[in-house]
Amino acid sequence: MSSDSSLFSNRWLPLILVAPFMLLVVLFFYVPIFQAFYWSFFLERPFGGGSEFIGFDNFSRVLADPEFWEAGWRTLVFMVIASSLAVVVPLILAVAADRKIRLSLPARNVLVWPKGVAGASIGVIFAFIFNPFVGILAPLNGMFPGIWAPGLDGTDAFITLIAAHVWGGIPFNFVILLAGLRSIPYTMYQAAAMDGAGPWRRIFDVQLPLIMPQLFLTLVLEFTESVTSAFALIDTITHGGPGGATTLLVYKIYTDGFNGYDLSGASTQTAILMVFVVILTAAQFVFLGRRVNYER
Amino acid sequence: MKISVLAAAAALMAGACSAQAANVEFWYGNTGSVETAIKAQCDAFNAAQTEHKVTCVGQGSYEVSMQKAIAAYRAKNHPVLIQFFDAGTLDLMLSDAVVPVQDILPDVKWDNYIAGARAYYETSGGKLFAQPYNSSTLLFYTNKTELEKAGVTQTPVTWEEVIDAARKLKAAGHACPFVTDGDTWRVLEQFSARHGLPVASKHNGYDGLDAEYVFNTTFAAKHLANLVEWRKEGLVKLNVDTKAGNYTAAFNAGECAMMEGSSGSYAASAKAFEGKYQITVGMAPMYKDHQRHNTLVGGASIYVMKGHDKEEIEGAKAFLDFLRRPDQQMFFTAATGYVPVTNDVLDAINKSGEASAPKYATAAIGIQSMNQPRTADSRGIRLGFYVQFREVFMEETQKAFAGQQTMQVALDNAKKRGDELLRRFQQTYKGVKLP
Repeated sequence: MSSDSSLFSNRWLPLILVAPFMLLVVLFFYVPIFQAFYWSFFLERPFGGGSEFIGFDNFSRVLADPEFWEAGWRTLVFMVIASSLAVVVPLILAVAADRKIRLSLPARNVLVWPKGVAGASIGVIFAFIFNPFVGILAPLNGMFPGIWAPGLDGTDAFITLIAAHVWGGIPFNFVILLAGLRSIPYTMYQAAAMDGAGPWRRIFDVQLPLIMPQLFLTLVLEFTESVTSAFALIDTITHGGPGGATTLLVYKIYTDGFNGYDLSGASTQTAILMVFVVILTAAQFVFLGRRVNYER
Repeated sequence: MKISVLAAAAALMAGACSAQAANVEFWYGNTGSVETAIKAQCDAFNAAQTEHKVTCVGQGSYEVSMQKAIAAYRAKNHPVLIQFFDAGTLDLMLSDAVVPVQDILPDVKWDNYIAGARAYYETSGGKLFAQPYNSSTLLFYTNKTELEKAGVTQTPVTWEEVIDAARKLKAAGHACPFVTDGDTWRVLEQFSARHGLPVASKHNGYDGLDAEYVFNTTFAAKHLANLVEWRKEGLVKLNVDTKAGNYTAAFNAGECAMMEGSSGSYAASAKAFEGKYQITVGMAPMYKDHQRHNTLVGGASIYVMKGHDKEEIEGAKAFLDFLRRPDQQMFFTAATGYVPVTNDVLDAINKSGEASAPKYATAAIGIQSMNQPRTADSRGIRLGFYVQFREVFMEETQKAFAGQQTMQVALDNAKKRGDELLRRFQQTYKGVKLP
């Protein structure tokens, strides 16, 4: 606190400066979250009026609904596969770009560009790229008719989603991981090389252990973000189909609440999803975070 | 998370409405040529008189319009007039957010509306809740040029004939004889209505909130199973099987030769066909040996929302009166293909000397289709959370089309999940009586 007062002579100034942001957070995060938890204990009519307190009935209904568990399972599968790939792919690119190879400089620049593309736009582009008639896999369909059919085959649709998500996740994770790699003192490599470590050995024994904080950060962010950020992609590419194969929880909540006017059911699922994400992040910190060595 | 979108939408509405408090705001959901026609009507109304001003706001789709209306109503910034689609009828009737149009405009001759249009939107006491606006019904479209090329000279009327024609088309090398999107409205609701079959018990919910779905036990189940078989045979294609990716686009481009579609898409098809193909439009096909009943009115109607002052209501009334005028309805029909559903407009069309003109092509057939003999099960759909049920039905049947389960299993699942929705709706509106 002493450092604060040395920066700001007026003790209210920092509070005032942070107030607009806090107001936004409260208005668009805490209030809706509170509302969702509140509604999850009620049977709420879409246009209001006559809402009825029903205790944990919403929760027991949602938890007994096989559709909820299927959507939850898909969310988990998406989370594990998509987030792992969204960290591993940028890691490979970052390690490559960090080396003194040709094009590594322009690559460091170009790979950041997708960051400027909104999720929904990525969705529209990938829907086109993976279109079975005009997309890049169309020739495959020419050779084996019907082998690539994201409109019918749930697995194909899921693959499309994951590809789009990983692509969209490259820039941010790439920047973080590359920054981590660049901050490793060059002398470390020289010392390792003198001890006889080859390039692969240097990656696994020097680089990776030293960028653990960055890897941990990207992994935690990816895991929590993949729960919600898939929404824009699902809404533009698959609409949860075919046959619900890409209905992740976040999309199910949206359709239940906004297309089906089931505000209580959607709120209940929101509450459950919230708790799940909090537990997941806490678990990551407890089990993974402890092993990360922040000292160099 | 998603709730914040609701809050944001409400905040936006607040800004939008307060800026135009003096106006009568009207929200609609259509896009494309229909939106152009709606805007033209709004402009015409504002130009025709100076007392009231209507501001028409396009929301992009019926669903979005409804979502925003719910948020806006809770924030007390809702529009005076709002267009809602057929599936939301019961949700609105029980919402306590709208006033029946017949209460606001008691002097209008509401029995001017054809029975088919009234039945969908009226209370058990025969009071119209909403003013039918862009009314449509299901029609059968063919690409006559392509059919003739394959040697089909008579436009098919029954499903048996449709499939015969499809086989001939396929034999002639046509890649897409019949196309559908498998939409609930097209393959279940309209099919059941015109074959005189119930979708749910209690006459599709008209007699109480304790209805249960029964479509999985009716002839509709057989038809849906047939669609799966015909698709395997290459006669029926779905959206995803077409290059265009969408059934109307595929039909309009000449990729597919036959489709069941809303009368509201006629204008777009006719325009796309101009100079390339000949189009026919007729009543949706029946199975042989089944008596034809009426098809349901689809599209959307306009509701008056509660909580507005007298001046705004007066403006709303004037606009509703304007939209009911025969010249306006004729303009709208000609511009879109939606069907006029009042008798005086039909008379006016007949007297205009243009009754057989292509721009009125859907009017006569649509009315004829909606005026077929009625049953208690062909009045409409009055089931709660029905919009959500449509999604459930699509999800389960898609799995059947993809071969993951049989159609019967899909329908049984859809019934089970649908019944859960109905029970929850019943509980949500406990103690509320159907109007």
